[in-house]
This record gives sequence, C-alpha cells and structure tokens, in this order.
Amino acid sequence: MSTTSTTEDADDRRNNPTPSRRDLRVLSVLRGSPLAAIMAREGKIRATNLTFIFWDLFYPLGYLLVFGVGINASLGFSSGDASIGYNAFFLAGVLAMASFGIASNTSWSFFLDRDNGIFYEMLTYPMSRSEYLLGKVLFNVLVGVLQTAITVLLAWALLGVGLHPWRWPLLAAAMIVGTSGWFFFYAVFALRIRRNDAFNTVTSIFYFVFLFASSMFYPLEPLPRAFRAAAYSNPITWQVDVVRYATIGLGHGGGIALEAGAFLLFTAAAFAMAVHALHNQE
Amino acid sequence: MLDVAIRVDNLVKSFERRSLWAARAAVTAVDGLSFTVSRGSIFGLLGPNGAGKTTTLRILTTLVRPTSGCASILDYDVVRQPDAVRRRIVVVIQEHAAELFLSVRENLITFARFHGYAGAEIRDRADRALEQFGLAAESTRKVQDLSGGFRRRVQVAKVFMVDTPIVFLDEFSTGMDPILKRSVMELLRQEAARGRTIVLTTQVLSEAEALCDDILIIDKGRQLARGDLNTLKLLSERFYEVTMTFDRVPADLDACLAGYRPVRRDVSHNTLHVALKEDETRVLALVSALAARARVLRIEINGASLEDIFIALTQKENS
Repeated sequence: MSTTSTTEDADDRRNNPTPSRRDLRVLSVLRGSPLAAIMAREGKIRATNLTFIFWDLFYPLGYLLVFGVGINASLGFSSGDASIGYNAFFLAGVLAMASFGIASNTSWSFFLDRDNGIFYEMLTYPMSRSEYLLGKVLFNVLVGVLQTAITVLLAWALLGVGLHPWRWPLLAAAMIVGTSGWFFFYAVFALRIRRNDAFNTVTSIFYFVFLFASSMFYPLEPLPRAFRAAAYSNPITWQVDVVRYATIGLGHGGGIALEAGAFLLFTAAAFAMAVHALHNQE
Repeated sequence: MLDVAIRVDNLVKSFERRSLWAARAAVTAVDGLSFTVSRGSIFGLLGPNGAGKTTTLRILTTLVRPTSGCASILDYDVVRQPDAVRRRIVVVIQEHAAELFLSVRENLITFARFHGYAGAEIRDRADRALEQFGLAAESTRKVQDLSGGFRRRVQVAKVFMVDTPIVFLDEFSTGMDPILKRSVMELLRQEAARGRTIVLTTQVLSEAEALCDDILIIDKGRQLARGDLNTLKLLSERFYEVTMTFDRVPADLDACLAGYRPVRRDVSHNTLHVALKEDETRVLALVSALAARARVLRIEINGASLEDIFIALTQKENS
C-alpha cells in the first residue's frame, strides 16, 4: 500500500515553521493557527457588507451626537461634578452599549452559520471549542477597539470631551474584555436556543433590562434604593464604570478595581458556560 | 504504521426525546456497533433511513459523544482526544455546508487555512481543486448565487484541499450530475491509493458497489452484514436475474417456468426478465430449455446486486 505523510505534515506545519517564518515570530504564532483562520473568516464575511462595518464603527458616535446632545440640551445634567457635562458622562455609556451590540450581533452569527450548514462542519475543523469561541470574538474585538478610538477622538473634536491618553490602555482593556464577556454571555443562549425568533426575543429583553438598569444613561446616586441595588449587580454597570473611569476619570480607584474584577469573573464564567454549550451541540 | 485506521467497539448512542408534556423517552440510534476500518480502504456504511449511519459518523467526527462504548481514529479516542482526531479528519456532512457570502475560491482557501495551509501552497491547491470540480469558471462567484449542485461541489472539493489521512463523506453525491459523480469517484479511488482512508455513507448502492472495498450494512443501529462485495453476494441465497430476448416468445413459456420458483417475472417486446432463487445448474437448465424453444437474440445472467442483498437483509430484519 502506498502511504501518505498526511498527519505528520499537518503537525509539522503547526509545530515546525520554516526558517523564514521563524524570523517573523509574531506572525508565525498567528499564521496557520486556528485563531488566525477563524479571525480571517470572520473578517472576510464582515467585509462583504461594508454598510454593516460602517454602522459598527460610527453608530456610537451617532448615538452620542443625537441622544447625548439632545438630553443635555433639553433636560440638563448634574453628575455632582460641575466640570463633567452629559456628553462626557454618556461617552462611556455609548462605548459599552456598542460592545454590547457587537457581542449580540456576533452571537447571532451562530444562527447564520447553522442556516448555512457550516456550523457543524466547523465543529469538525482542527481546533478546540475554546479556540472556536475566542477566534469568533477576536475580529469583533478589533472592530470594537477601532470603534472606541474613532468615537473618543471625534467626541473630543466635536463635543470637547477631554482626552486622557495615559488611561487609554485601561480603556482598551475594558473594551476588549467587555466585548468578549458579552459575546460569551450571548453565545450561551445562541448555542442553546435553536430558534432565531426566540433568540431575538431574548436579546430584546436583555437590551431592555441590562441597558436601562445600569449606569449607562444616568448616574445611579439619585435613583431609588431597589433600582440602585439592581443596577450595581448588573455587569454592564461594572463595565460602564470602568470605561467611564478610563475616559473621563469619574469614580474611585478601589471601587473601580472591584468592578473590573467582578467583570473579569463574569467573563470567565460566561466563557466556561459557552464552551460547555458548544460541547453539547448534538 | 497502524493498519487499522478506525476502531469502533460496542458503540451505543441514545438520544432523549424532550417534551414538556410527556416523560422523556430514549431513542437508541446506535446499538452496540463494533467494526474496524483498514488504513487506505474505502469503507461503505450502508443502511435505510434512520439506520444510525449519520449518528455513527457524527460520533467518529467528534460532533456527538457516545452514550457508551468507544471509538478511535488512528488510535486517538474520539471523546478523550477530540482535537487530535480533528487534526486527522476531513468531513463532508450530509447537509449543504458552505460560506454563502464568500466566493467559491475563498471558501476553499478559508477551509484550508483551518488546516494550517498558507501562501502559494494554498493557492495552488485551490486552483487544482477548482479545475478538478469544474468550478474554475465560477471561482469568483459567491456561493449564495450558485445552485444546490454547485454548492455541493464546493463542499466536496474541500476534501482535496487538505491531506488529512481520514475522509468522511455523508451522502457525498447528493445533487451531483452523473459525469461529475463518476469523476469524483475516480478521485476518491486515487486518494485511497495514496493511503487515505475513506468512509462513506450512501443510499445510492451502485456507488458503494463501485467504490467500496469493505461494506457494513446496518439497521436500527445494529450490524446486519459485513464484508467486501463478493462476501456480501454470498449472502444472497442463490439469487439470479436472467434476461433473454427471443425472435418470438416461446408459446409454452409458462409451462417451462412452472418447475422453477420465479421471484419476479416480466415479458415485454419479446424479452423475458426473470428473477430466480435457484442454484446455478437449475438456472442453466432453464436457459437451455428456453433456448431450445425459440431463437435467442440476447442473453444476460446476473447474480444479486448490492441492492438485492440490501433489500433482502433489511426486509428480513424488519420481519
């Protein structure tokens, strides 16, 4: 029987990059890896709809300009700090809202993949379930970070919201972890619910509950006690508060660190549950 | 090197039917199946609808976990070492599966990237696969704009983008025209000759007859028969089909056939088709007797086809 070195070739390709690849260590880590492959896939699919990418990149800014400026002009705003206007306060809200939206859109793509039949085929590709989930969110995390940069810079240029470059690493981290955490959270539902319309109902409820019972649109201090307690136990409040600290410096270091830690735990738990849900696709 | 590519041992898979109103009832799709597949062979898994073929394939491709028993691919356990298994397999699932928003060429390239290919190699392989599957003219078209048959081509073409040692094909020829089907079958033979192990499920038994070195017939999740085509034909219990064309049909045909036990009998346009469960000498005696009564223009004697064996076995199981 003639033989083929098929498996060995595949393993060599992963473990022993050619000398020219070794020179480019960073690229060699990504090249040929399942993470790079799935990121490229997501990117290609998203690139087939430029309107969608444009919307993803600019809608937080649009929200800030229409809703934020409108509320500021018609109702006025008091955060307890005279130097902070509503536009500056709401900037963190729209950024978190955007990462929430990207996460829900990305998880919705599981339904698209199921309809195309590619979902089950992809589960036989040479990657772990964790890599599949991480790869799926990575491209969208990049979109989220780019969107944040555009929104922060244009908020500064158009609305005079201050820039704090030394806090940008924290802002980037909050957006990366935030988008990932919400994607894993949504993925648990997208992978368990088989009907597209049922999932849409669930996301609509989540939008309503998570976004309004949080510090996204208004400060929590003046709110009734029960409402305030609900908002403080809402993971989106934790993300918004960290993003707000990173954009305009509002908040206290200790409390922000606690909220950041809580959000990290939420992300880790959601990731574990999403991987479990992916293992149970029968 | 391992001679056994796939090993399945007492495999069982039960699914729970979920219902709000009724108690959960388990449905057993695979019921104590055991078999091995030799490296470099083309293995056919046959059975009627609901026999458990696709469930078995889904267990072997790490999509479904068995309820009990074990299965391994090149000695890697499908439950405990799924990543190692996935690095060694390529799967064409029963449903149409393609990246609808990407072009035909991008579909092939995207797939190969997951298997670690890149650069010029991936482009060369894509060019070759496009040519082999008659997709070159469609390479820049989005898959969503293609017909079902072309989408299936894209799906099967992916098998030839990579060199994984095991290939699983679940009803691979669905929607393919006969010419393409024949050329894909030839490509599969070549891949097996290179050492790749090919496992296919099909309900088109002529495909299995033409392709498979080794066949397993299952029903209700259990083995009915196993072996190469010749071994299976021995299970047919002396089944022959005789076709004779005469210049005129013998007048005493009925009397002539009376001493035999025809399973089927049909006469049209001076041609007699008769299926018999007799031994060879009796069949030849009938042919001689008929040839003595009228001039024979054409004669054809066939043993049981895979289809005859398949029908006989599954009917026997169901009765």
